[in-house]
Amino acid sequence: MPADPTRSRVTIALLVVPGLAVIAFSLIVPLGLSVYYSFTDSAGFGEFQNVGFDNYKTILTDDPEFWRSLRNVMLLIVATIFIQNPIAFVLAAVLSRLSARLSQILRTIYFVPAVLSLVIVAKLWVDVFNPTFGILNKLLRAVGLDAIAMSWLSDPRTALPAVIWIILWQGFGWAVFFFYAGLMTVPRDLEEAARVDGASWFQVYVRVIIPYLFPVLSTVVVIDVISSMKQMELIYLTTAGAPGQLTQFLSVYLYQKAFVAGEYGYGNALSVLFVVISVGFTLVVQRVMRARLR
Amino acid sequence: MTPRARRHVASRRVGMAALHVVLVFFALSQLFPLLWVLLYSLQKSGDLFGDALLSLPHDPQWANYTRAFTEGGMVSYGLNSLIIVTISTALSTVFSFCMGYAVARMTWRLKRLAFAAITLGMVVPIHATLLPNFLWYNLFGLIDTRIGLIIPYVAFTLSFNTLIYIGHFQNLPNALEEAALLDGASWPRILWSVVAPLARPATVTVAVMTSLTNWNEFIMANTYLASDELRTLPFSIIRFQGLYSSDYATQFACMLIVAVPALALYLFFSKHIMAGATAGAVKE
Amino acid sequence: MKTTAFLVFALAICPVIRPVLRADAQPKVTMKMGDNLPDRNNTWGAINEQINNEFKAAHPGTEIVTESYLDQPYQQKIKIYATAKQLPEVFKYWSFTSLLKPLINGGFVAPLDRADYEGLGYLPGALDSNTYGGKLYGIPVSADTWVIYYNKKLFKDAGIDKLPTTLDELYALVPKFKAKGIIPMTTDGKDAWPLSITFDLLTWRIAGERGLPAKALDRKIKFTDAPFVQAAHELQQLVKSGLFQEDLMVSDYGAARNLFGQGKAAMYLMGSWELGLGADKGFSAEFRDNVDAFKFPTLKNGKGNADDLMAWFGGNYVISAATKNMALDKQYLQFYAKRFPEIAWEKQVTLPAQTVKARPNDTVVAKTILKIVSEAKATSGTPANDLSTPRFKDDNENAIRELCSGLITPEVFVKKLDAAAEKAAAAKK
Repeated sequence: MPADPTRSRVTIALLVVPGLAVIAFSLIVPLGLSVYYSFTDSAGFGEFQNVGFDNYKTILTDDPEFWRSLRNVMLLIVATIFIQNPIAFVLAAVLSRLSARLSQILRTIYFVPAVLSLVIVAKLWVDVFNPTFGILNKLLRAVGLDAIAMSWLSDPRTALPAVIWIILWQGFGWAVFFFYAGLMTVPRDLEEAARVDGASWFQVYVRVIIPYLFPVLSTVVVIDVISSMKQMELIYLTTAGAPGQLTQFLSVYLYQKAFVAGEYGYGNALSVLFVVISVGFTLVVQRVMRARLR
Repeated sequence: MTPRARRHVASRRVGMAALHVVLVFFALSQLFPLLWVLLYSLQKSGDLFGDALLSLPHDPQWANYTRAFTEGGMVSYGLNSLIIVTISTALSTVFSFCMGYAVARMTWRLKRLAFAAITLGMVVPIHATLLPNFLWYNLFGLIDTRIGLIIPYVAFTLSFNTLIYIGHFQNLPNALEEAALLDGASWPRILWSVVAPLARPATVTVAVMTSLTNWNEFIMANTYLASDELRTLPFSIIRFQGLYSSDYATQFACMLIVAVPALALYLFFSKHIMAGATAGAVKE
Repeated sequence: MKTTAFLVFALAICPVIRPVLRADAQPKVTMKMGDNLPDRNNTWGAINEQINNEFKAAHPGTEIVTESYLDQPYQQKIKIYATAKQLPEVFKYWSFTSLLKPLINGGFVAPLDRADYEGLGYLPGALDSNTYGGKLYGIPVSADTWVIYYNKKLFKDAGIDKLPTTLDELYALVPKFKAKGIIPMTTDGKDAWPLSITFDLLTWRIAGERGLPAKALDRKIKFTDAPFVQAAHELQQLVKSGLFQEDLMVSDYGAARNLFGQGKAAMYLMGSWELGLGADKGFSAEFRDNVDAFKFPTLKNGKGNADDLMAWFGGNYVISAATKNMALDKQYLQFYAKRFPEIAWEKQVTLPAQTVKARPNDTVVAKTILKIVSEAKATSGTPANDLSTPRFKDDNENAIRELCSGLITPEVFVKKLDAAAEKAAAAKK
């Protein structure tokens, strides 16, 4: 063993090379090709020409749909972090205090939507939100709230909240799962010491457990940001950006440009910007989390 | 009991009752889609998307399920899914465990670069990689092979998983590892006997995330596979997709069948979350 | 851990090695095909299976392997295959400019000999729709025309005894159906193309002149001209009037079709390929016995008449330019061209691009479609949506969605269309 075993080059290489090789092979190479295509007017096949920074210029200065889709993604991120996460955390905390049997049953039930394919989730909510036949409006009409029985997914006022709701709902099971796994790593004696000191449950969680779980929480936030950026199927299968572009999200826009509109070069420029923005968000989040830790 | 204590007890009881109501409410809302899919899968296709509101169809089409099995290629697709998902989950878990540990615990100069690569790997959108990877994998003859699907399945889950491990390792006290190192244990032994058991909640999280993500994955499978012999379970529904009229009910039956092993997998792994709970305690 | 890693690695390469080691009995020729018909047991997919089996019997030693996906994933796969130079040798595609022209320009599809297909009963304009630069590149399989299907029983129940011949008469039906809790008309609003086709039709009905959208795309006239503006008003009015299902813009193809088939809607605005509604066992017998069709109405002050038909030839079959079995593939196409119209009409799957004889046990709606087509005085050709670049199609569909969601005015709509047409024309240079 060398002087400091945590510096063992051989061990580090063995640990790191396989994973990095896979990442390089399957992600970095296509990213590089993506960058290459982003400087062309390729349609995805056939001939194409180099157009320099034209695609980027258009996106940043002449593409309101891009900015709208970015704005919607940010709204989704905010909703995920400040609505979905707190509820999921509280539920996970409650679950962690229940008996093992009850906790296991409830945890399995809460996770059910997460194992269903996104096609089911999308079709389900389109069905529920159907203005004429959907359950939601039927319930609202039954209690006399006809006035707000609207066409949730096609009305410009409610389409975006409805889509965001569907995404939050679907990710809920995962969030509870993550938080629960995190809570399980909290050492019992840490909790007990705080309780013995006479702290209420609320104080135990806020003063002791949450700070302890900070690395887990920041991981969850980063995952929230990235998966919000990558949200595609649920939106595509429900509104596909409609009405107009009100519910357009970045990944859907990217897909439509690259594969539906045949603007492959432009779509790749969007991808590159997507990567840049995502990395930017991630760095910001990590910096904020690190600062709060102090 | 003093009136004050009585009030305290009463308010606790109300609180507990309210809590149980909330839990049950959430449970119902999470079970609702399962019920919805089940009821719809028993309808006749033409009756869907209309007024069929969560009511038991008077003529449940159990034939939809038999058809899903016989014509949906469940057995062959299921086997492929099993092979591909198991191998990609195993590889992704192992690789991310190793990388996560190296980044969190080891000291090396290129750590920042590696972490940057991992972060980059996390944000690449799948659709942007489809055409380039098709051309690139084609050079190695990986198109229309199982391994050609396993590699991207590992790649796209590696970064998230590594992040989870890093977050977990950062909270783990070094004491046990340092003790083992002092005792002269080799790295493989340390990782396998000391670190891995401590990392069980993270491993469970990673395994569940990876396997479920890849179990339902369709876009990459659609792009990189061509032969019917290699197709995975998400393809089982396309046999029932027609040009104008689709057999939606049987598609739903397929999706429900596909969801069952996923739920079983979750059950299997989630039992192991409890095991890590006591492992955090180290007697100083 | 090393042993585990090795085991995992060994397991991983097994599936790769096994097929290499196996010595298969190879058939003489394997034809790789592609189409957008994943369901091989019903309707069109079943017809393809039947034709393939007949072809294999006639050419022993031939194996046919078909890759099928729905429209969207199918188009993407074809594009990827084109780039990777791995196209199927014979595949179903579309004759539309927006889809076929790029393949032709890239040299991906082989020109065909027109003489091989004369005398096979193709409807006028069918082979032309697949001709670019004077050469034939594909054979059309289906004739598509735009009609309104309706449910006779629902009309009777609402006390309507006359089919609407003008738009005003159509609007008059709306309150009558709504009083009975019936949706007057459904169509696929989520995919904007049905509404775009309707826009083309309205333009024709207003101006009485054929081919205006094509002229606008050629920049001989502008989309901001009067007929288009008025058509946009009419289209927006159609949606605003409550004629369609309430969530039209997120209601997809399957939902619209099912609403009609379940008797929840009285009319269905769609193409002639839905003539199979009369035979679809997924719907009730009562529905099947009552479904029929009528021509799209005229406008009161419009110059067009009801026999100006939106008609085009959408689906076709093409041969990859890089195929190694050119002779066999051509034989397949000719075989397909002979067998498809017979079987397709017998099974009431779609209207073939070749003339078919009406049979005594044709469904009512199928007979009506044949009649509508035979009475056509003029046909439109490919709709504007597919007559230009993929980018134009995207812009057009987005604009249509915005117009029909009430987010933009007709004036803004035609301006957007014109800008998109200008861009497309510039790109062609």
